[in-house]
Amino acid sequence: MTAGPGKIETSTATPPSARGRALWARIGVSPVVLLLVAVLLLVIVPPLIFLIKTSFYTTTFTGAFDKFTYRFYSGLVRDPKFATSLLNTAIYAIGSACVAIALGVVQAWIVERTNTPLRKYVFLVAIVSLGIPSVLYTISFLLLLGKSGPVNEVLDFFFATGRSGINVYSMWGMIVIEGIDFAPLAFLLLSSVFRSTDASFEEAAMMCGANVARTFRRVTMKLALPGVYALLILIFIRAFESFETPAFVGRPGGIYVLTTNIFENIQVDEPPNYGQAGAFGVALLVIVWGLLYWYNQLSRRAERYQTITGKGYRPRVMDLGRWKYLTAGVLVLLFMIIIGLPVGIVVYASLQPFYEGVSLGGFSNMTLANFAQILKPGSFRDAIINTVVLGVATASVVGPFTLLCAWLAVRRYRGAWLLDQLATMPLIFPSIVMGAAFLQVFLESPVPLYGTLLSIIIASSVRYLPYGMRYSYAGVLQVHNELEEAAALAGASRPKTFLKVVVPLVAPAVVTCWVFVFLVSTKAVSIPILLAGPDSQVVAVTMFDLWENGQTVELAAVGVTWAAFMTVLSGLFYVMARRYGLKFE
Amino acid sequence: MRNGIIRVGGWASGLAAAAVVLSLGAGPARAMTAEEILMYKGADREAVLLKGARKEGRMVIYSSLIVNQMLRPLTEAFKKKYPFLEVKYWRGSSGKTFRKVTAEMRAGKLVADVVEGSGITGSIVKAKIALPLWSPELAPYPKKFNAADGTWVTTRFRYIGGAYNTKMVAPADVPKTMEDLLNPKWKGKIAWRAGTSSSGQLITITSLLLAWGDKKAEAYLAKLSKQDPVPLHISNRGVVDRIMEGEYAIAIGASAHHPLISARKGASVAPMLLNPVPSLNGTISVLKGVPHPHAAMLMVDFILSKEGQALFQKAGYFPAHPGVPAAKDLQQVVPSIAGKEEFFVDPMALLNTTKKSKKLASKYFK
Repeated sequence: MTAGPGKIETSTATPPSARGRALWARIGVSPVVLLLVAVLLLVIVPPLIFLIKTSFYTTTFTGAFDKFTYRFYSGLVRDPKFATSLLNTAIYAIGSACVAIALGVVQAWIVERTNTPLRKYVFLVAIVSLGIPSVLYTISFLLLLGKSGPVNEVLDFFFATGRSGINVYSMWGMIVIEGIDFAPLAFLLLSSVFRSTDASFEEAAMMCGANVARTFRRVTMKLALPGVYALLILIFIRAFESFETPAFVGRPGGIYVLTTNIFENIQVDEPPNYGQAGAFGVALLVIVWGLLYWYNQLSRRAERYQTITGKGYRPRVMDLGRWKYLTAGVLVLLFMIIIGLPVGIVVYASLQPFYEGVSLGGFSNMTLANFAQILKPGSFRDAIINTVVLGVATASVVGPFTLLCAWLAVRRYRGAWLLDQLATMPLIFPSIVMGAAFLQVFLESPVPLYGTLLSIIIASSVRYLPYGMRYSYAGVLQVHNELEEAAALAGASRPKTFLKVVVPLVAPAVVTCWVFVFLVSTKAVSIPILLAGPDSQVVAVTMFDLWENGQTVELAAVGVTWAAFMTVLSGLFYVMARRYGLKFE
Repeated sequence: MRNGIIRVGGWASGLAAAAVVLSLGAGPARAMTAEEILMYKGADREAVLLKGARKEGRMVIYSSLIVNQMLRPLTEAFKKKYPFLEVKYWRGSSGKTFRKVTAEMRAGKLVADVVEGSGITGSIVKAKIALPLWSPELAPYPKKFNAADGTWVTTRFRYIGGAYNTKMVAPADVPKTMEDLLNPKWKGKIAWRAGTSSSGQLITITSLLLAWGDKKAEAYLAKLSKQDPVPLHISNRGVVDRIMEGEYAIAIGASAHHPLISARKGASVAPMLLNPVPSLNGTISVLKGVPHPHAAMLMVDFILSKEGQALFQKAGYFPAHPGVPAAKDLQQVVPSIAGKEEFFVDPMALLNTTKKSKKLASKYFK
């Protein structure tokens, strides 16, 4: 272009940065979204593919892939083992969900809608129990209810039942123990349902002459019912995927569910039957996916029961008069069943030289030798360090990652809906199936990852992405777009807006998410149990191994130490949460 | 020029010093492979192993030995002897251990240096994953209990017997033969370990098949199934603990010495030997891809030495070393001393019979 006299030279060449932006604008997708989608695909697709591939191959003597076959799938239909396990799983899931809901409803109503004394401690107890590994919890109930436990001893004393008064290694044993294990979670979720019910409906009922009991039955419960149904299904799904209780309680009684079948195919069968485990895993995945779909449909219809109306609402606390001492007694009883007795027996066992049931002689035999043993430098110390690292790493990966994904999705960036879908997808993987799938990935991986703590962190992070998404999504939804628009008008770039405006505002949600993921990832056993090696032992697996190796009193000492540690942490989180106004629903 | 002479002198003495240092550090002409280290018979073997182990810095053992009783004391004693080594152990049943090492080998990253176990030998041989080894400590051991090709050596013996709760079973009622177990009063009160080929349900069936033949064994099992023995998916030690706790009256297919060890501490449990008494060996192997071969051989030497075998004796195991007898109070479960019929289950026979045993187990028992 030559500039001649009288001509004004204008350049029509676009500057490089504008060209770059124009190119991206044509593609329409932000590079950040692409990157996040790629990462999610990288961690979700291989396990899924390997799981499916495994289900089509028999296994050699040394655990490698052998021959292609359909027989594991035809076996699902023809083999009565699958049908029996499926039926057992369904019965177990429904039963434990009902027990958990029953206990949860009672506690939630007492805490949220009455003036019972002591009710504010129920939250603390619930949060603390979230940090106790299910392995320890289940074992404590086995110590309490087993043949040599105090319950059978008392029954024998009064009714001469000869140590067989109750057999805990049965379906009802599984249902009761799992139901009690879920009760704190049920309480936490139900308390928000009860809290947000508009009191004017109940006041209207009482003005018409209904007493407390009638109002509860015909108004309160009916309004809470959709929330209760949704929770029932959620707990049903969780029980479907549950592993610890069926492993410790069901197996000795010969009762198998799908998760324990998968576990035994991999960890017990000689040679390991990865193909069968894969087929069961895929079947379980499909079932859980179906259940979740049904749950989503139900949740949508539950909106019809909204009780938070435009008018101001405040939940009404009922004055129970002298009945409040009875309800306080109920709370204390539930506290004993849910926390007091299990912790008590574990503490007792941890102070014994060897465990022979509870007896007066046992009290005089008490010794601190088990604690001295486990606190020496050695594998338990390593396990604690590994577990804390696992929790911190998983939570620190899931929190920020899902926050970014949620923000992109809520602000409707092109293609970000895919982030939401992918990050929620791991929900269909029961933990043990995810562990089995990742096991195959790591065994075949060119990078040596098998047996490392990093491998457990990866699998754990993928597993808890959906939980992170849920907290982050809810948190971002609360931030109105206009704040970011104001920042943009003031000249801030998008990343800067995100860091300086959005993050501080959603901090409570992110912190809640971090704490929750930390707690659940440290207590889980079904992922690390298939992936852990001698260098990557975590506390939950250590406890599992100690029980299998018959080291009851050492297990109790490990359990007490770890539970004390987690209680202190949970207590700290609770105090912080109260201070900063966080909610755990 | 004076400087030049001094400089040359300095240079020459530097060279000479270097030559001396190099010759001091010279060992074998080049680095040895793992196979060579394991089979090294040179006069300087001890020095070579120590030097190599110092560089390696770590030794990991996988074993089915009980942690409190043996595995921990063993590794602690080993660490005392070689304080420059980081010593790690992992305890698992034979099946679990085999699965773990094959998975590690598939992933290209074997972690275990030494694999010890009773019941794992046949699998290791069949999978052809062990390396031949040699140790000067092997001299006193009878050759018939070790692999001809050196891929495994026997470290201990194990006798399979039962256990009973002394508070629940009167001395007159204690079963003395396999047939005594068929007495109706034991229905529902017998427990055995399930899920592993070298203990409990499966070893009982395997040894009966090998000792009595298929027909007699199966006829017996059909009768035993009417007694509803309870399967326990826990370790042998765990099974005996359940008897101690009073959950069941009798256990069969357990390690005969476990109840004796608990009885030493005052627990109400005692062993019982029923003819034929199966005996198994515990062996030690080093696998292909071993990460720390020098340290591995130091451990093999230690376990086979009189010092190491004495630890087995003290912990209540049955040492394989001819010069180290079992502890006095345990000798009552050594079949030859107790006047019982011993039946040695060869590792390969164990491996080959297990399939049949599993079929019979699922046919007759839970």
